[in-house]
Amino acid sequence: MREQALHIESLEKRYPNGVEALRGVSLDIAPGKLFGLLGPNGAGKSTLIHCTTGLAQPTGGAIQVFGHDATGNYGDARQAVGLAPQEPNLDWFLTVAETLDYHAGYFGMAKAARRERTDELLETFSLTEKRDERTRTLSGGMKRRLILARAMMHRPRLLILDEPTAGVDVELRLELWHYVQRINQEGTTILLTTHYLEEAEQLCDRIAFINEGQIVGEGTSAELAARYGVASLEDAYLALVGRKELSRSHAEVTAS
Amino acid sequence: MTTAQIRFATLWRREVNRFMKIKKQTLGAPLLETFLYIMVFGAALGSRIKELHGIEYILFVIPGLIMMAFSTNAFANNSASILQQKFQGAIQDQLSSPASPMELLLAFSLGGFVRGLTVATLTFVVSTVLVGMPVDHVLVLVPSLFLVGFFFAQLGVLTGVRAEQFDDVAFIQTFVLQPLIFLGGVFYSAALLPQPFETLTRFNPLYYMINLVRYGFVGFTEVSIPLSLLALAGATAVLFSVNLRLFARGYKLRA
Repeated sequence: MREQALHIESLEKRYPNGVEALRGVSLDIAPGKLFGLLGPNGAGKSTLIHCTTGLAQPTGGAIQVFGHDATGNYGDARQAVGLAPQEPNLDWFLTVAETLDYHAGYFGMAKAARRERTDELLETFSLTEKRDERTRTLSGGMKRRLILARAMMHRPRLLILDEPTAGVDVELRLELWHYVQRINQEGTTILLTTHYLEEAEQLCDRIAFINEGQIVGEGTSAELAARYGVASLEDAYLALVGRKELSRSHAEVTAS
Repeated sequence: MTTAQIRFATLWRREVNRFMKIKKQTLGAPLLETFLYIMVFGAALGSRIKELHGIEYILFVIPGLIMMAFSTNAFANNSASILQQKFQGAIQDQLSSPASPMELLLAFSLGGFVRGLTVATLTFVVSTVLVGMPVDHVLVLVPSLFLVGFFFAQLGVLTGVRAEQFDDVAFIQTFVLQPLIFLGGVFYSAALLPQPFETLTRFNPLYYMINLVRYGFVGFTEVSIPLSLLALAGATAVLFSVNLRLFARGYKLRA
């Protein structure tokens, strides 16, 4: 079998309060793909990402990143993953450049390589002028850029973007889309969660729907629409969450 | 350097960098506090008390102040750093890296250890200049200070990991450590206390740490040095093992 960028098998996560966030999730993402994970709030998207990146401990199942175990002896798996989390989690004490430098250090990059990569990413994300400013002084959009740059610092083979465009302006959203597409074309596998269906439709090769801790559908945008017997990804999503009455085509029919 | 060495050096550098960025608060304030103690107990009280057990009073007090500076700074640094990073979510950057639980624990521990060592060293230098602080038993002093610093660094890590709000850290610092340090004989000899306070003092673990450090500096002790060293080494090892287990389990660090 071909080695997957991300292989998840029967993944379970039950929190100490008894909430079952993941209930036997299995998922494969092939190398080089841009994969979308969609689902309503509380469906299990972030928990799945946290289990993959070591921020949550699964209570069952297995996760492999490029063939490396991501839960037990996790060193090689973590080395291959970059995470841009949903919530800004920057250290207020650090400057923009230090944020990138320390992150790269955690992944074992040598000083010269860190410096070069820091300059490169600051330029890419239009942060060069802010390099010596403390992160707490940045605007929301700047923080979002920095988080994405940080995730890219150690050149991960699998980049996980947890709602990267939530709350950003149109200009930055389009900028991020271009960047994500470019690094994907250069060979980086990407797992993207988003609430913007047009974003998933435009960017992703394949999409999975997750609901109540289970993968309930997977395929291309067209395949998912066909599975739910509807015309678009948006309608398929609304069918998934049981809100078909919100469909735009439904509204048009009602209006006419 | 290997990848693992670079990783560990970075984790540790981050902790040192954190307290160096706010050095007025993390180094300046404790130094001033220690200096004020020396002024009050040396210049003011010292002129009345003169000697304790044949040792000039100020020289009797300073070893306890150095020990206090080392321990409180090691504790405060690590508990605050971990809680702050948990609070901001910034700790996720370290937790999602390839760093092992041992690397993470050691790096967090050494941050506070270095801060404590810095304040203790500066206090010693100032004391030497002001009152000519002696060092009678360097082979006891160095391991004693090392163990005291590392013990409190571990205690700070444990408190930071367990804490959910800043109040949790302040509680341990104000209502547990401070009384134990002050009642552990920094400013007096337990032998001078009436019963039952003299006996009660012997149940205070800080009393043994203060005596170890005092013996290292001025050669006076009220406790067995080998036994105290052994007990301190044992307690430090147990605390380190507990913390390592918590880091491996991800207790209050990972969901």
